Amino acid sequence: MDILQINQTSDYKKAGPLQAHFNPYSYNGGTVLAIAGENFSVIASDTRLSEGFSIHTRENPKTYKLTDTTVLGACGFHGDVLTLTKVLDARLKIYEQDHHKQMTTGAVAAMLSTMLYHRRFFPYYVYNIVAGLDDEGKGCVYSFDPVGSYEREAYRAGGSASAMLQPLLDNQIGFKNQQGVTRIPLSREKAVNLVKDVFISAAERDIYTGDSILINVITKDGVTDERFPLRRD
Amino acid sequence: MFLTRSEYDRGVNTFSPEGRLFQVEYAIEAIKLGSTAIGIQTNEGVVLAVEKRVTSPLIEPSSIEKILEVDNHIGCAMSGLIADSRTLIDKARVEAQNHWFTFNEKMSVESVTQAVSNIALQFGDDDADPGVMSRPFGVALLFAGIDDKGPQLYHIDPSGTFIQYDAKAIGSGSEGAQQALQEVYHKSITLKEACKASLTILKQVMEEKLNSTNVEMATVTPEKMFHVCTKEELEEVIKDI
Amino acid sequence: MAAILVAEPQASGFSFENCRRNIFLEKQGFIAPTAYKTGTTIAGIIYKDGVILGADTRATEDTVVADKNCSKIHYIAGNIYCCGAGTAADTEMTTQMISSQIELHRLNTGRTPRVGTANRLLKQMLFRYQGYISAALVLGGVDITGPCLYSIHPHGSTDKLPYVTMGSGSLAAMAVFEDRWKPNMERDDAMLLVRDAIAAGIFNDLGSGSNVDLCIITKDKVDYLRPYDEANIKGQRQGKYRYKRGTTAVLKSEVKKLEYEVVSSTVVAEPMET
Repeated sequence: MDILQINQTSDYKKAGPLQAHFNPYSYNGGTVLAIAGENFSVIASDTRLSEGFSIHTRENPKTYKLTDTTVLGACGFHGDVLTLTKVLDARLKIYEQDHHKQMTTGAVAAMLSTMLYHRRFFPYYVYNIVAGLDDEGKGCVYSFDPVGSYEREAYRAGGSASAMLQPLLDNQIGFKNQQGVTRIPLSREKAVNLVKDVFISAAERDIYTGDSILINVITKDGVTDERFPLRRD
Repeated sequence: MFLTRSEYDRGVNTFSPEGRLFQVEYAIEAIKLGSTAIGIQTNEGVVLAVEKRVTSPLIEPSSIEKILEVDNHIGCAMSGLIADSRTLIDKARVEAQNHWFTFNEKMSVESVTQAVSNIALQFGDDDADPGVMSRPFGVALLFAGIDDKGPQLYHIDPSGTFIQYDAKAIGSGSEGAQQALQEVYHKSITLKEACKASLTILKQVMEEKLNSTNVEMATVTPEKMFHVCTKEELEEVIKDI
Repeated sequence: MAAILVAEPQASGFSFENCRRNIFLEKQGFIAPTAYKTGTTIAGIIYKDGVILGADTRATEDTVVADKNCSKIHYIAGNIYCCGAGTAADTEMTTQMISSQIELHRLNTGRTPRVGTANRLLKQMLFRYQGYISAALVLGGVDITGPCLYSIHPHGSTDKLPYVTMGSGSLAAMAVFEDRWKPNMERDDAMLLVRDAIAAGIFNDLGSGSNVDLCIITKDKVDYLRPYDEANIKGQRQGKYRYKRGTTAVLKSEVKKLEYEVVSSTVVAEPMET
């Protein structure tokens, strides 16, 4: 009979050997967003790079120009982003040399998917969105998960504030939960303004989104850059 | 200086003092023993036609396959040591599928040809690496296909050299056939004319009398992509010759 | 019957009655709810005439900003205030509990409470709970002994210093103090210094943000400035997001008649028409 036995709570660790594990990943935050228009694509990212409660830099855009008509947005673990973009650039160059043509946005997306799935059991900790023009010159956006599942979409947010941005885009571009609205095709100006507004809102509530955004607009004439300031706290 | 070939045609990777690789040249000679194959590129598509040597009435003609599919949009005709072509066609097929898998698009005809040519010179005396060829392959290939650049015809020989042609003949009758092709070919030739021309020329260079069982013909067109002609389709062309 | 419906009066002190159940649930894979944290920058300095306390106004729940303008400078007594960092509920309740004890103490003694007294009460309480009450505090005020400033750690240790910082932004803020704090500073300079220290936390620490609150305590006056400075201006919207009337779908509408009984009625005499 051990009525007096005190129930040991799990708050106290027993003494004994401990194995320390190396964690190969870290998380550096950041948000990317892409919208496909009729004959253009907009892809934007914030420029904050952080870890824990610290900011590494306020000047690190997360969009990477791959070809004249394709831009990649990538965030998550910055170390993997660096390697992934480096390998992508190399693969792009090899393709160009092998096949004497520039890769289409669709081909870039397909290749990225195979590259990600190749690392199925030690993945690149990267959230990717590819934006650009398709073979017909129409705007296109492809979104990925870190292990290579991908699909073509009209608009997509990825990264730390994606859960905040996506419902807003669903409503404003997808006209979700709206009754009797006229579905006007999205103009370039409206798309860019919407990008700025959703990022302003994300910076209010997500601690990993802020400082400024870089907006890339992809048209048949090339890729334009635009910077827009965000709050810095 | 040795003037005879015999000293330098033993090792497959040994240059002669004149700078020649005899084994490769012999391999190219081997093509000239093969049955004749013809390819013609037109604006509407590409046609491939080959002679089948049915040397015995006991041979089942359909078992002689000299035109093969590489991918939906690419076909290949061959002449020479047909057995050697298996390795190459396998390579072409794998490359085409791999390209589709990786890039979700059709591999260009040029790239397929390039991929095959890359293994042309992968042979050696030593068997250091199993699977590597011990001698040059003894077959010539005609790749016909359609991609972003339109219908195209490529020729590749045992040296790995590949060249794009409007019209090309390989095999035992290639000399005469090439001459004939030069006369008949013009830029605006239709596919129908090309089919007829290819069989007409084959007929001229073949020892046997041409009929629907001793030739094989295939087309690559935007509508049907790679398509091996049926007996009926062949007879339709033959009757006009 | 009513007794069953009404909750029993709560026993005083914390209730631990669900601890065993919760440990069991956690073992089953249940994820316990998380509390708001004020990943914070708080700071205080002693200057010529008294004490200045400063705080940012961000409260976070993991990586999401839960409150953009929360108040982190808590009232302890008329002459004592206390900045709190850590779990929002802990800082809030701890300062309130000590505030009421100090008030009772003031009524019993009839004297202005001392900052040291509040410090003792706070550290004894926090020590009793072995760090489980996650409150990191900056306590400041002016009493009979003059201006006093303490920092109090969650396990109950305290420091009495002329300039202190706490919270996740404490390093950023302390960097500013180490650079610019001097004894016997003028009021304006001191206010600017605390503002800059808090702003350093706001900009360089992701757990801190929004505005700067200040509380200036002198011998006979308290200036609670909230906000003292809006360190960040919110971005200007580019587009308009007004919805047309009828945009939200009405799925079902129903009119229900309210049943009622006439409990009382009054008869009012009206003047007769003439």
